[in-house]
Amino acid sequence: MDVLKINGKEHKFADGKMPATIAELLSSLGVDSATVVAELEGQIIERAKFSTIALHAGHSIELVRFVPGG
Amino acid sequence: MTEDRGLVIAGKHFNSRLLIGTGKFSSSKAMAQAIDAAGAQIVTVALRRVDITNKDDDMLSAIDREKFLLLPNTSGARNADEAIRLSRLARAATGINWIKLEVTPDPYYLLPDPIETLKAAESLVKDGFVVLPYINADPILSKKLQDVGTATVMPLASPIGSNQGLKTRSAIEIIIEQANVPVVVDAGLGLPSHAAEAMEMGADAVLVNTAIATAVEPAKMAEAFKLAVIAGRTAYLSGAAAESKKANASSPLTGFLRND
Repeated sequence: MDVLKINGKEHKFADGKMPATIAELLSSLGVDSATVVAELEGQIIERAKFSTIALHAGHSIELVRFVPGG
Repeated sequence: MTEDRGLVIAGKHFNSRLLIGTGKFSSSKAMAQAIDAAGAQIVTVALRRVDITNKDDDMLSAIDREKFLLLPNTSGARNADEAIRLSRLARAATGINWIKLEVTPDPYYLLPDPIETLKAAESLVKDGFVVLPYINADPILSKKLQDVGTATVMPLASPIGSNQGLKTRSAIEIIIEQANVPVVVDAGLGLPSHAAEAMEMGADAVLVNTAIATAVEPAKMAEAFKLAVIAGRTAYLSGAAAESKKANASSPLTGFLRND
């Protein structure tokens, strides 16, 4: 079993089922990648690299987006 | 009357002097209508974790990013480091380097931390950001922020969302007198008359959110704020008449229909 920490919470994936990239992760969550910014292990990942940078078990990832605010 | 050449922030020109926040609207439709009615060109947003359990949480898709400058804030930051992290994420999201810097460690009054704000501003300016810092109405802090290169100063009128109006008037007067960057009065303006008062004093712009978003008819209130900002600015440029303690008759004091 593999674990990814997404927005502070651990998510478990069966062996071989963990998304390989941020793009795959977003698509599995049903989140539109066009509006999302990702931070992987504290490093901001440009949207253009969502489908190329590999996720590894144990990685911590933050997915953020704009929300209404003043 | 002096001609109004518009608001210029970091070399960018805006006709509207009313900035609008997008929080607290009942729907994205109400928000979009209010932004239109306000005639706003700068629209603030916040940055938060994606709610991965709610696929419909993208309320901002209603905003046309070609038409409006999206100004992300660092709300939620409790210190300079958190504000800097949020600023970088916001820059990655917008592709532009404008940031409304907010550092508010105290959740009850949401007053900005002057020391952490100055620290973050200095670092962000060095990193190439156009920084619009939200601050208490402190003239010394305003000068220090200008010295480190912020694009504006944004003193609060009263606590965020309190609708109390211009409680910090005399300090903001000093800030305006000393400013060499635009002064945007932010937070606490609850009525169009409050916005007009700030503009009459010579503020360059105001930022309004709660008073519009939580009005019964947000679009109508947005229009009222737009008119108040124009009225206040026009009055400022017109040169206000002098105030005096005693009455000064407006009608002639001769030719009365009496014989005494």
